[in-house]
Amino acid sequence: MTASVHSLIGPYALDAVDDLERAAFDRHLSECGACRAEVDELREAAARLADGAWSVPPPALRENVLAAIGSVRQIAPASPAPVRAPRRLRLVTAAAAVVVAAAGAATAVYAIQDHRVRVEQSRTEAVRALLAAPDLVLKEGTVAGGGRVTVATSKLRDAGVIMLAADAAPTGGRVFELWTIRSSGPVSVGTLAPGQTVAVQVVNGMEQASGVGVSVEPPGGSKTPTTPLAASVPL
Amino acid sequence: MAESGTSRRPEHLSAVPDPDPGPADLLRAVAGGDEKAFARLYDLVAPRVYGLIRRVLRDPAQAEEVAQEVLVEVWRTAARFDPARGSATAWICTIAHRRAVDRVRSEQAAADRLSYVGRAQVEVPYDAVADEVSGRLERQQVRRCLHDLTELQRQAVTLAYYQGHTYPQVAELLGAPLPTVKTRMRDGLIRLRDCLGSGVTA
Repeated sequence: MTASVHSLIGPYALDAVDDLERAAFDRHLSECGACRAEVDELREAAARLADGAWSVPPPALRENVLAAIGSVRQIAPASPAPVRAPRRLRLVTAAAAVVVAAAGAATAVYAIQDHRVRVEQSRTEAVRALLAAPDLVLKEGTVAGGGRVTVATSKLRDAGVIMLAADAAPTGGRVFELWTIRSSGPVSVGTLAPGQTVAVQVVNGMEQASGVGVSVEPPGGSKTPTTPLAASVPL
Repeated sequence: MAESGTSRRPEHLSAVPDPDPGPADLLRAVAGGDEKAFARLYDLVAPRVYGLIRRVLRDPAQAEEVAQEVLVEVWRTAARFDPARGSATAWICTIAHRRAVDRVRSEQAAADRLSYVGRAQVEVPYDAVADEVSGRLERQQVRRCLHDLTELQRQAVTLAYYQGHTYPQVAELLGAPLPTVKTRMRDGLIRLRDCLGSGVTA
């Protein structure tokens, strides 16, 4: 997955990735000093593009900003041994994060840390709560074509979270679709957008599911999974 | 450097991040709670911050609102700036760009944004005259360097940066495969970096 995540370096430097990809890339950066240096350079170049947009701001902006800072408390200066923001972010990650990170799926947790989009917040809370469950069980499977799907389930919560991190999106404009396998048959629990390779999906009522599957479908998904499945995780 | 406490318009020479108290020095002082340093930093970076946000959002009122958020955020988080990782200007522009892009994505439907294809150059400056005089130097080099890129590199980079599109959206707009777009964004930025030189060090 590393090689593929790294291919996001250009889009990442341009903020042209979605939140999950950004989270995955942040994790990649936390493990790769050379990549960090490259991102810093690309960001430096990207920021110069702002020169091309140079525009005199309305005079009121200055007054408003200078007035506003009077009531805004600053964060504490870095301690003598400077701790970088991403690292600090890691440290506050809850114990559940450690569990998941151990399973190689910290992507999900990073997504949680990183989400600023309002609509994502309730879902984020759900993921966080679930990952904190005392009886969390992790199962993993590989994705055909590379990548990993991790399923974390909790009987206590009767819920699970499916974390998909594929190396590459399906070809021909097709998309990944996530399924739970139940006695009544497969039930779709979400379809990814074209080109999307990373997803975190919370599923309630996991108790009855005997497995999780990932299939490759036409855009928008299908009613039943196309076989063979791209990944399958028995529970 | 302007003693621009009451100046209504930033002095144009000060916008080139180079001499004495450059953005990095000012940012360090700001991290220590120095409001005067912040006012000077504002004069150095506000046209870039506002201009960039406005380019991405297009709506001047929204741009002003987001620019204010960003500049206050710079004040709040100045202590996080790490000069080892890049220039102060880039650090600030990165915050500004991210905020602008977040705003675009949370407020506009994809279909809405697609209608902006090919309008990258459409921009009505707040004050055309002041802009022309003050921003010319800053803009010239970047424009020249953008023209140095291949067509696909330039489109990939500018559609993402100035319009806030994600790389799959850029791929769709350009009718190019995703891996190609990802690669063009990266090598476009590398070429841009080489053309601009290691110039900005502040």
